[in-house]
Amino acid sequence: MFFLVVGDDGRLVGVEPSSEHVVAQGRLCVKGWNAHHFVNHPDRLTRPLIRRNGTLEPVSWDEALDLVVSRLGAIQAAHGPDSVAFFSSAKTTNEENYLMMKLARAVFKTNNVDHCARLCHSSTVLGLAATFGSGAMTNSISCMEQADCILVIGSNTTEQHPLIGTRILQSKTKRGAKLIVADNRRIRLACIADLHIRCKNGTDVAFLNGLMHVIISEGLEDKEFVQNRTENYDPLKKVIADYPPEKAAQICGITPDEIVQAARMFAGADKAMIVYSMGITQHTHGVDNVKSCANLAMLTGNIGRPGTGVNPLRGQNNVQGACDVGALPNVFTGYQSVADPAVRTRFEKAWGVQNLPDKVGLTVTTAIDAAAEGRLKALYIMGENPMMSDPDQNHVRKALEHLDFLVVQDIFPTPTTEFAHVVLPAVSYAEKDGTFTSTERRVQRVRKAIEPVGQSRADWEILCDIAKRAGYDHMQYGSVAEILDEIAGVTPIYGGMSFDRIDQVGLQWPCPDKQHPGTPILHTSQFTRGLGAFSPVEYRPSQELPDDEYPFVLSTGRCYFHFHTGTMTRRSQLLHREERFPYVEISPKDARSLKIPDRSWVYVSTRRGEVKAMARVTEVAHDGVLFMPFHFEEGPANRLTINALDPVAKIPEYKVCAAKIRSAR
Amino acid sequence: MKRLTEVEIQSFLESLESRYDVWIPVRLQDGTRSLGRLGDGPLALAGGALPHKPTGMFFPQMDVILSLRGKAIQAPAPLEKPLLVVGFTAEDLDCLAFIDRFYGENFRDTAYFSKRENAVTVAVTGRCGKDGRTLKVSSGNCDVEFVCDGQGYLLVAHSDIGKALVGGTLGGRETPGEQLDAIRSEVDADSGEDHALLERASKLLLADKVPDAFWEQIANRCIACTSCNLVCPTCTCFDVFDRKDDDRDERWRMWDSCQLDGFMREASGHNPMGKEATRTRRRIHHKLGADPRRWGQITCMLCGRCDDACPTGIGIKSVSREIVAKYGSS
Repeated sequence: MFFLVVGDDGRLVGVEPSSEHVVAQGRLCVKGWNAHHFVNHPDRLTRPLIRRNGTLEPVSWDEALDLVVSRLGAIQAAHGPDSVAFFSSAKTTNEENYLMMKLARAVFKTNNVDHCARLCHSSTVLGLAATFGSGAMTNSISCMEQADCILVIGSNTTEQHPLIGTRILQSKTKRGAKLIVADNRRIRLACIADLHIRCKNGTDVAFLNGLMHVIISEGLEDKEFVQNRTENYDPLKKVIADYPPEKAAQICGITPDEIVQAARMFAGADKAMIVYSMGITQHTHGVDNVKSCANLAMLTGNIGRPGTGVNPLRGQNNVQGACDVGALPNVFTGYQSVADPAVRTRFEKAWGVQNLPDKVGLTVTTAIDAAAEGRLKALYIMGENPMMSDPDQNHVRKALEHLDFLVVQDIFPTPTTEFAHVVLPAVSYAEKDGTFTSTERRVQRVRKAIEPVGQSRADWEILCDIAKRAGYDHMQYGSVAEILDEIAGVTPIYGGMSFDRIDQVGLQWPCPDKQHPGTPILHTSQFTRGLGAFSPVEYRPSQELPDDEYPFVLSTGRCYFHFHTGTMTRRSQLLHREERFPYVEISPKDARSLKIPDRSWVYVSTRRGEVKAMARVTEVAHDGVLFMPFHFEEGPANRLTINALDPVAKIPEYKVCAAKIRSAR
Repeated sequence: MKRLTEVEIQSFLESLESRYDVWIPVRLQDGTRSLGRLGDGPLALAGGALPHKPTGMFFPQMDVILSLRGKAIQAPAPLEKPLLVVGFTAEDLDCLAFIDRFYGENFRDTAYFSKRENAVTVAVTGRCGKDGRTLKVSSGNCDVEFVCDGQGYLLVAHSDIGKALVGGTLGGRETPGEQLDAIRSEVDADSGEDHALLERASKLLLADKVPDAFWEQIANRCIACTSCNLVCPTCTCFDVFDRKDDDRDERWRMWDSCQLDGFMREASGHNPMGKEATRTRRRIHHKLGADPRRWGQITCMLCGRCDDACPTGIGIKSVSREIVAKYGSS
């Protein structure tokens, strides 16, 4: 998507957008324009560190890696293979995620491997797998330019997926496509939308069921599609019958007319598309929300054609790929189940091992719980920062403190490395080769632009070195291309991938063989699972709703200028300049009644803790709702969030908890 | 006048490498054209304006402007060889002429001129534009010009340095000078129309005919990607920051964007530039309204980059078109 500009002294000095890439088309968002900045930041970790007497001290790679292997081995010998867990990373390459899960499974014999997709789209992976058979964006980014109606629900697209957001924006302003924004906040897309529907946080199932009620009762469903392509329709109808617009509207805090209008607009379009992100997934009913989106798309026949589909937007550069290559506790690469003996046999043969574990492992969230309870003894984290990214920071702190051994492999010191016994310096994306898979399932190259900073090493090299030291011979490669070849050999959906084939603009999976052109749109003639399965769901309220003591809903998320836990963007001059302080959005009405002026300091508190932040009094915020981004170490929103999980996906409810706010003056 | 093939141009430039740091349009892995050194990729002279502004060679995205070792302040080491930059369009040269004025008049920007001074500028024009278009032939404000006649490149020297360089060219075939006039006369008529469009938009802005509501509507379509500023060869704003590097502290500057809140935000948090609508207005007004007053010229030279790079279709030409369409008749 862009090229890095390297100065004569070997440091990065800029970026250039790719004018030829099908997605970039010569464009970048503000983070893209600043993507080079953090790479040569003086804070980079440049040497391996071991904690001695409470202080992290520089040591040799040999000493650090030998310690990692011996401690993990000793802990497993004493407490069993599942006393150790591995967090892989959506920031690292497909090859590195593959090796991390291979290391966990083939070398350390545990399925305790997961990564931060748990925190963003685990509900998508499960919800869409159950309904369609494949848990990924059904269509391509270019399809945004073909839709007649786009329902954006729980996605601030122009800020979080800007180049996708601009396609939606252009569809509306240039082509006159209908745009429905269902989002509590008055986001940029809401300003130009035909309908902006501000449901109460966490009521998406009621809203979507309400839409389907109108569609069915007015006969607007695609009968032919429902008849020929789906199953389980009657149970859906039965549940939906109980959500007339009046009832749904009451749950959602909107008018019945808004539901009727949205239903007619969506069902009336020839090509209607659903775009969603974490407003849908990050709930204790995240899987239900996803299933509701899938139900609506199937009911209206908006699957398998250009300009339609259910399109979850994946956030990190490689969160799609990290899932695809099996950095998940229940599947190997290509979503092949660890519980399937035939699959295990195939991997045992490919990897030259025996007795691969068959029990589904711990997730990112349940591993933290297990550590807090003393069930998990050691954790190896690659490129993740749970102290900032996981819910209820005090709980995470307790968990990390309880661990007998914590390894953190990263590019910068983070609040998580503060608890590490060993810190391994990895290289950034600019210093290595590999592949990333974008949100539209496009597997594409990342190329080494500069030499590693200091003594840092590529994650894949570190992992291979660990495997070797642990006595495993089948994890040695001459180049990254060989690792992708190995992935292709064991992964049907990646079967046709190779460095040669993806060299220029990549290929979209499924791509089963070397001749296959890739798949821009899924489920065209049949669903991955055969027939699409309607999955009726009932509305369930969020875990912790406002009350007299904590009268606000706190919803957390991201801002335009920062990425995730801020480790990179807060070290990028312009991005940091734009958003320097932790802040909380509050509506003008609420701010007036609490006498909180704009840009004044406030305390936001929940039953988990308290955070100081700057008030941002804005029409973006809905009355009664506070919104905080979680990028800021000095005001960590995740000190406030609730560790309540979706029962299936184990995704935390970042979008709803009860909070109060007071002036800090 | 000589006519050279691409291969001969490559040899010509190679022969200059001992004296100059030569940068030319090359093709990157996915086909994107960019400035690189000889050998960085296949030569890509044809294709029109480079996506990355060639003026960036003198005012790069990020640049060390001084460093501090102990108590000693050091300027960056001077260039080993002067730059020779190939790939300017006629519009790019007009932009360069403007930023030469901007950085040279009143206060002389040493960081800029440390690269610009003694640099050789080479334009690529003629029948080698995108999609078969003919690129405007320059007004002679460069050292050397490669004018494509469809088969090869006419080698035209404009400055004394240019003449000296071209005089030493080996190879190539002599070709009559009328060729150049023929190419000059066939330049896209659009460019005249586009200039007229900017003039009309400029007049409307200066006469205060464009209401705030218009800018609100444009601002709703701006995602603050900053591309319009960063690709613009006449945008000259930068931010300054300091960074530690081993044994020294470095002061850097980097391209900045007036489309960002932090660009003008005061320490108090107040932003005199107001909100997005006024920021958007400023971007257009600066080039079409303020600069004509300050510098006596519209400072959009119609290079086309912001219209190409803007993901929501609000580059300066598009906005000017909307202004003229909406308010031009009154």
